[in-house]
Amino acid sequence: MSWWRWFSVYGPTYLDGLAATGVIAAAAAVCAVIWGALLLLVRLELGRAGARAVDAYVQVFRNTPVLLWIYLIYFAFPLVGLTWPAVVCGGLALMLQNGAYISEIFRGSVKAIDLVQFDAARSIGLSSWATFRKVVLPQVLVHSLPALGNQIILLLKDTSLLSAISVAELTMNAKLLTEQTGAAYEAFVIVAVLYLFLVAILELGVKWARHAVSWRPPHHAL
Amino acid sequence: MGKRRLVPVMFGLACMLSLLVAAGTARAEDKSRLETVLQRGKLVVATFSTAPPFCYTDDKGQLVGFDVDIARLLAKALFKDPSKVEFVVVTAEGRWPAIESGRVDMGIATTTIYPDRAIRVAFTRPYVDSGVSVLVKKGLGTKSLADLNQDKYTIANLNNPQMADRAKKFIPKTKTLTFDTPAAQVLAVRSGRAQAAQLDTPVADWYAATNKDEFEVIPELMGYSQNNAIFLKHGDFVWWHWLDTAVGEMRTGSYYGDYSEIYQKWFGKNPPPQKFYIR
Repeated sequence: MSWWRWFSVYGPTYLDGLAATGVIAAAAAVCAVIWGALLLLVRLELGRAGARAVDAYVQVFRNTPVLLWIYLIYFAFPLVGLTWPAVVCGGLALMLQNGAYISEIFRGSVKAIDLVQFDAARSIGLSSWATFRKVVLPQVLVHSLPALGNQIILLLKDTSLLSAISVAELTMNAKLLTEQTGAAYEAFVIVAVLYLFLVAILELGVKWARHAVSWRPPHHAL
Repeated sequence: MGKRRLVPVMFGLACMLSLLVAAGTARAEDKSRLETVLQRGKLVVATFSTAPPFCYTDDKGQLVGFDVDIARLLAKALFKDPSKVEFVVVTAEGRWPAIESGRVDMGIATTTIYPDRAIRVAFTRPYVDSGVSVLVKKGLGTKSLADLNQDKYTIANLNNPQMADRAKKFIPKTKTLTFDTPAAQVLAVRSGRAQAAQLDTPVADWYAATNKDEFEVIPELMGYSQNNAIFLKHGDFVWWHWLDTAVGEMRTGSYYGDYSEIYQKWFGKNPPPQKFYIR
């Protein structure tokens, strides 16, 4: 089938999948960053026990494939009464997994904050919550932007695993199209290009963020 | 994306597109797959691994089943040795690329003949009768498809369009979920994600028979009796002809004895008679 006809017939299917993937990835990424920040907070504020707990959590999610968690939450949780929609199950698994990695990224960035700043914060009377909010978090976010961008790209690619639990995202649509038309190469090459496109958008976003946080006043203003 | 990233990305795109072109170009094969298989000394077969009793892994992790044994019977016909088979396990949508790419010689994977499938793959004559039944959780109280046709129920389908069409035709009000293996479909019913699953009749019967207090099968078939067949790549008449001849002899001729043994082993009853006029 000619490419043009392919696009006109199956274009809408691809666009639906693209939109679904984008939305799920965006939502899961936001939740993962928040969750990673929360884990960081636990590590910083709850002493040795907190740090150990977060370490254990990270170990669990580093050593297991995210597909395992997707299956567990989707298929096994209903057995104990927790039946959530497929998108929520998948998003939750992605959030838990990537939150672990993001908290590790944040941990590295915290080390870059000079200890002097914590003393300074305490000396002007900032509570630990205020220190976290106003001193730690902004600097950590800025420092970890490249690594965060990388992790979110990985998260985007992991959304393809949600096709295993019947979520109508891009990879699922490619599978359905392959079944319908038998044109496996066309279907999957287009999907690969679409993922590249999404990643390109993400990279633009990261670049914009880096520019936004590293604004320097122009020479003539000083 | 700055200029420095553009080159690698374009390169990657170009590689992918050239792969596509290379794959799409017809590769002229002078010799038939039959010759290739005979020279290789081994038959490469695509099959599923979660569709009992046709093709599944048993407790010891061995791939077994009716389809598996039929493939071994073919190897016996080719090489006098039923062990000269290599199985490639695929998922539902992966069986077609496996054939088209030439990675496997043929597929036998509880695959039903449909005319729209026959546009892209060649089928031999059927090697076993099939049909589509609905597996439900026991105690659901649905005795017929009409009972199942309610908004509150969900049915688990495989990702092929025939399943979606059937569900739309017979139980339009029921919600659907789509998975890529029969095991995932059954798992969905088991965990309560769905209340029913569309499966080939022998597969549904097997699951119900081995999990008597968990599943049952709705007696009504979804549609009519259907045919499962071996599928292979289009265009190779010699290979298709050999496979079709072999299946024909299994069902009605010289290999009926071996076929009956396999049939008895997996279905517990005799296969349909060789010819209608033979008792």
